[in-house]
Amino acid sequence: MGIVIYKEPELENPVMVASWPGIGNIGIIAVDTLKNMLGAEELGEIEPWDFFYPKKVLIRNGELKDVEFPTSKFYFKRTGETDLLFFVGEEQPSDGGRTYAEGKKAYQMANLVLDVAQKFGCKRVYTSGAAVAPIHHTARPKVWAVPNTKSLISEVKTYENTMLMSDIEGRGGQGNITGLNGLLLGVARKRGVEAICVMGEIPVYLQGFPLPYPRASKSVLEVLTAALGIEIDLDRIAGFIEQSDSQIEQLYEKFPPEIKEQLDKLKFVSYAQPTEPAPITEEDKKRILEDIDKFFKKEPKED
Amino acid sequence: MDETQAFKVYGKKELQNSSLIVGWSEDAANLGTKVVDYLSKKLGTEEIGEIEPMDFFPLGGVSVENDIAQFPESKFYCSYEKNLVILKSNAPRAEWHRFLNSVLDVAEHYCHVKELYTIGGMVSLSAHTTPRELLAVSNLPGMKNVLGQYHLDRGMDYETPPGQRPTLSSFLLWVAKNRGIPAASLWVPIPFYLVATEDVAACRKVVDFFDKRLSLGIDLRDLDDAAARQNEKLAEIRFSFPEVDSHIKNLESNVALSQEDSEKLAKDIEEYLKRIN
Repeated sequence: MGIVIYKEPELENPVMVASWPGIGNIGIIAVDTLKNMLGAEELGEIEPWDFFYPKKVLIRNGELKDVEFPTSKFYFKRTGETDLLFFVGEEQPSDGGRTYAEGKKAYQMANLVLDVAQKFGCKRVYTSGAAVAPIHHTARPKVWAVPNTKSLISEVKTYENTMLMSDIEGRGGQGNITGLNGLLLGVARKRGVEAICVMGEIPVYLQGFPLPYPRASKSVLEVLTAALGIEIDLDRIAGFIEQSDSQIEQLYEKFPPEIKEQLDKLKFVSYAQPTEPAPITEEDKKRILEDIDKFFKKEPKED
Repeated sequence: MDETQAFKVYGKKELQNSSLIVGWSEDAANLGTKVVDYLSKKLGTEEIGEIEPMDFFPLGGVSVENDIAQFPESKFYCSYEKNLVILKSNAPRAEWHRFLNSVLDVAEHYCHVKELYTIGGMVSLSAHTTPRELLAVSNLPGMKNVLGQYHLDRGMDYETPPGQRPTLSSFLLWVAKNRGIPAASLWVPIPFYLVATEDVAACRKVVDFFDKRLSLGIDLRDLDDAAARQNEKLAEIRFSFPEVDSHIKNLESNVALSQEDSEKLAKDIEEYLKRIN
C-alpha cells in the first residue's frame, strides 16, 4: 500500500483541494473542473490495489492484457502566491457494496492523502461534497461549510452564499459528513492541519437519483475560488448546468402532480435561520417540510 | 501463522510442480463448486489448509440458506497422488488483493504450482441441446500455447462494459501474472435457464479437460449418466409443457426470446427441476 510520486515541485504556501465522488458528484465535479481549468499537472497517485476492486479487464485474443483500477491521483498547479495541490479520488474505498468509505481502509486512505499534503507543505486542506437540503432545483444552491477548528469559523463566515451548521434552523450546529470528504477533516484535525469541507446543496428529492448536480458544484467553485484567491471562468460549466437542468426538469415532470405541488412550495421555503420576514408562515413551512419528508422518507443530510 | 499471514497450511508434505484448481461459490449454475466437489470426491483429496475469513468477509452474523446457517470458507484440498491442489472458496467481500495474494502464497510457497486454473460459468442464450464449449483466457503467452492442444476456444476478446466489474477469476489471473505464475480461467457458456440450478454437461466438459490436461484418470461415466438424466428431465418438461418446448425450439433455431419469455422459461424449468430432483 503506497504512494507513487512522479515529480517533486517546490510549492509556495500550498493548499490542498481534495474530493471523492458522492451525492450528485457535487464535490468531485467542482474539484475536477478547477483542476482542469487551471491546467494542473499530474504529481502522483495512491496505488489502488489494496483499496479497490478492479473496474475493467482487457482480454485480447484469449490473453488477459491488463486490469484497470479506480484512480486516486494528485495534481499540482503553481499560481504564484498560493500554490495548489489537488487530490481526485475516482471512488471511495469500500468493503463491498457501500458507497462511502468507512473503517480501516478509509482511515488509511485519508492518512495517505494527508501524507502527501504535508510532504509538500500544505497547511490547509479543502474537501468538497453535497448537502442534502429542502430546496427547489431552480434555486441557487447555498454552500454549507464545516471547518475542523474553531479558529476558522470567523473566516468561513466571510465566504459568500455560505452557511455554518449553526446557521441551519433546528440543527444547533450539529451534523454529520459521511465518507472521506468528511473523514479527511477529522484526520487532518488529529494532525493539526486546518481543513474545511464545503458542501453544495442538492434538493432532497434528487439525492436518490444517479444524476450529477453541477449547479451546486458551481456554488462550491464560487466559494473555493474566492477562498483561494484565484479566478476562473465559471461560465465554462454553464453548458453542463444547462444540460443537467434539462434532465432534472424532465424527471420533475414525471413526478405525480400531488408531489410536484408539494415540491413547488420549496421555492418559498427557507430553512436557514431567518434574517428577514419569510414569504410564508412558520406553520406553513413546517407542514411543507413534513409532507415532503413523508414522500421521500429522508432526513436532510450531508456527504 | 505469523501476524501478517492470513492463511494456515497443515498439509503433511510440500508438493512440487503441482497444479491448482480454484472453484468459487456463487457461480453460474454453481459450476466452480460442482467441478471442485466432483474432483475432490473422485480423487479422495484431503484438506491441507485454509485462508482465515476474518479480514475478507463480513462476520456480523451468518446467512441462512435452505434452512442451514452458512459461513464463508476458503479451503485447500490436495491429492498427493495426482499432484493436484484444489481451492474451494467463497468470493471475498473485502481486501481482494490481499486475499488473492494469500491464495498465491500458498500456491507458490507450499504447493510450488506450475500452473493454476479457475472455473466459471457464463450465461448463454443458447439451448441446452447445443454442445458445451470450453473457452480459456490465459495470463501469459506460454500458458496459451500449453492450452493449444486441448481444442479450447482461446481467441476471446473482451472488455468489461461500463457499469460492470471484472470477475474475481480475472483479478486472480492478473495478480498471478504479476507474480509470473501461469494461469488460465476456463469458461463454459451455460444456457440461461439452467443458471439457477445446475448444468451437468458443463461440469462434464470442464472435468474432461482437467482429466486430460492433468492425467487424472477419472472415469467420467457417472457424469455421462447424470448429463443424460438431466437431458431426459428437460425432455419431459418439453413434452409436458408445449410453451417451454416452443421457447427452447426457438433458441435451437437461434431465435431470441423476449425478456418476459426468457424469464418465464427460466422460472418454469427451475421450478420443475427442483420439484422432481
